[in-house]
Amino acid sequence: METGANETAHRPKWKKVAYGGMQPGYADNYTDDSFLEEMVMNANVVKRDLLKVMQDSVSISQYLCIIALVICVWTYTLSLVIDESSLLKLDIGLLALGFLVLVLTTSPLSWELLFKYFLNISFFISGLYILAPIYHTLTRSISSDSIWALTVSLLLVHLFLHDYSGSNISTSASPNNLKLANNISLNASIVASVLVASRLPSRLHVFAIMLFSLQVFLFAPLITSCIRRYSLSLHFWFSFALMGVTLSVMYQLHCMFFVLLLALLVFVSVVCPYWLIRIQEYKFEINGPWDEAKLCFDISE
Amino acid sequence: MDKQQRRHRILMVSDFFYPNFGGVESHIYYLSQCLLKLGHKVVVMTHAYGQRSGVRYMTGGLKVYYVPWRALIMQNTLPTFYFTLPIVRTILVRERISVVHGHQAFSTLCHEALMHARTMGYKTVFTDHSLYGFADVGSIHMNKVLQFTLADIDQAICVSHTSKENTVLRSGIPPEKVFVVPNAVDTAMFTPSPNRLSCDEIVIVVISRLVYRKGADLLVEVIPEVCRLFPNVRFIVGGDGPKRVRLEEMREKYSLQDRVEMLGAVQHAHVRSVLISGHIFLNSSLTEAFCIAILEAASCGLLTVSTRVGGVPEVLPDDMIVLAEPAPSDMVRAVKKAIDMLPYIDPHAMHLRMKSLYSWHDVARRTEIVYDHALHSSNKNLLERLPRYLRCGAWAGKLFCLVMLVNFLLWRFLELWQPVESIEEVPDITFPLQNDELMHDSAEVL
Repeated sequence: METGANETAHRPKWKKVAYGGMQPGYADNYTDDSFLEEMVMNANVVKRDLLKVMQDSVSISQYLCIIALVICVWTYTLSLVIDESSLLKLDIGLLALGFLVLVLTTSPLSWELLFKYFLNISFFISGLYILAPIYHTLTRSISSDSIWALTVSLLLVHLFLHDYSGSNISTSASPNNLKLANNISLNASIVASVLVASRLPSRLHVFAIMLFSLQVFLFAPLITSCIRRYSLSLHFWFSFALMGVTLSVMYQLHCMFFVLLLALLVFVSVVCPYWLIRIQEYKFEINGPWDEAKLCFDISE
Repeated sequence: MDKQQRRHRILMVSDFFYPNFGGVESHIYYLSQCLLKLGHKVVVMTHAYGQRSGVRYMTGGLKVYYVPWRALIMQNTLPTFYFTLPIVRTILVRERISVVHGHQAFSTLCHEALMHARTMGYKTVFTDHSLYGFADVGSIHMNKVLQFTLADIDQAICVSHTSKENTVLRSGIPPEKVFVVPNAVDTAMFTPSPNRLSCDEIVIVVISRLVYRKGADLLVEVIPEVCRLFPNVRFIVGGDGPKRVRLEEMREKYSLQDRVEMLGAVQHAHVRSVLISGHIFLNSSLTEAFCIAILEAASCGLLTVSTRVGGVPEVLPDDMIVLAEPAPSDMVRAVKKAIDMLPYIDPHAMHLRMKSLYSWHDVARRTEIVYDHALHSSNKNLLERLPRYLRCGAWAGKLFCLVMLVNFLLWRFLELWQPVESIEEVPDITFPLQNDELMHDSAEVL
């Protein structure tokens, strides 16, 4: 290297510039003390709290319970433990309960809006009633085993892609992707209900079970998010009550299902949050002047 | 005698070379020309471009091997790891190469050639021309590839200090091995207009590919605002790309058809004639390791307004450039500042200053020092070099070692199949020394 050690005292200060040729007294591979000075590590990392993550996981457990309850109702209906009239009563009860929650939790609810909801639902119900005979015979030529297998996989797809964050929270990261996943999830659940309904003995059965499933899949996320926004403690009480009810119903259905659900709930609300906190310490993020600049305005007009 | 000993025989390898055009291409071309003038032997290796395949000679006897290997995507060859070994070996032996110099991190040909050169015990130098982040999948993959290539490199070159920081972080090589040798500009080609433009109407020139990374979206926000604030400002936008539609929409929306001229793609030979019709050069890149376009504009005597990204702040002294954050409001402020500065700018003085600040000859001399360093680095056999790859990661390290071992075996096999003695060496033809003029007509000679 051309740089002699004796001239260190006289040489001018090194500058972080590229112009003007080689800087006198400094070779090109000179590494200044300011090297990597502007590097920032883990600037955007959010510190997570175990309790907070566990609280957030409650909404996932809650939705899992709702789906478990739907499966119970399906099973009981298929084995004809529940007849069509009690199923219809259940539908009406759920609808009324849903409306009640909506009225109580949404404060500026005008009559106009309520009337609109009512009109929509009556259209929806009459449409479903007309289509019930078609659903009834839709999958006659398919064997029951395929139907059950398909239903289970569709439900898994539904659970996997469901938006647990609550329908009204829009995340900034790839909203288009999220929308697509949401749509696929909803469609999977509807197809699953059609498949189950097509195995039932009468048209009224089909109508009742379809109405029940669609009510849950379409409106349950709305209702639960309403409750959550209204009061967090109510949300927790509601969720815990739901979990208790689901577990007891499951226990009556089958002991293995009960154990599976319990394990799943513990996994989701205890193990996963702990896991997430643990792997946080491996997070390593580097930022610096070499990063591509982010635009501060929306370009997706 | 001493001169004869110091003579290097260099093979430049990159997927990017003429007739393709860009920063890397002109860097290789000018560097090679200046190295030839310094008395070294330079050979360029790139992939075939369309019908252009085989061996060609360019200005000053610069020999170019267009390897018959088709470009797959974005002028890159398909990564094949080993299939390029025979031809790389033949070229290395035929031309009696001493240093292999690869360019650009996303050139597969460069990575493969460097790998083969290392296997065969040649000295290798690598120049990184761009910046990369650390967050997305593409960058993570690229950084791993770079780590593989740089694990066993003799010396690396970066074009700016920011780029050096980035490369050291990405590849984990010791910073002493990384030299900073910037790009330069051919000041004789980019001269200011002989007669001074009047300042009654201020023309702002933009020449860049109209893509996201070059900040075309920023232009869409900045141009109407500047036109609103300064009624005597006119824009000339040169370049083409997917974002051109957005710029044209903006022009319609604010009815600026008579104040924003869209030229479409501008050939490099015509860049100067576009530049000298303006007062201010606007660069809106979101990421940039060096930015040669700024040098070309400054050499033509234009005042530059640029975003403060990557290595751009290092490129010009503060009184020749106005920097702004990559946000529309700050860009407009910078343009305003530049317009205020304009009466005190003398294009010819700026051109003369650029002449003293940048020259390709200086770049070549500094690169020569890097080659000297590479030649003096110790020779290591395969077993001594393998641990360097092993350190690259739990899984990747073992994989890299395996790749190198297989390559070594293939090379030994080739040695048996086609011994070095059977490959004919090319006689060195010394071309008569050219004058400086010849350097300026670049690709047309072919």
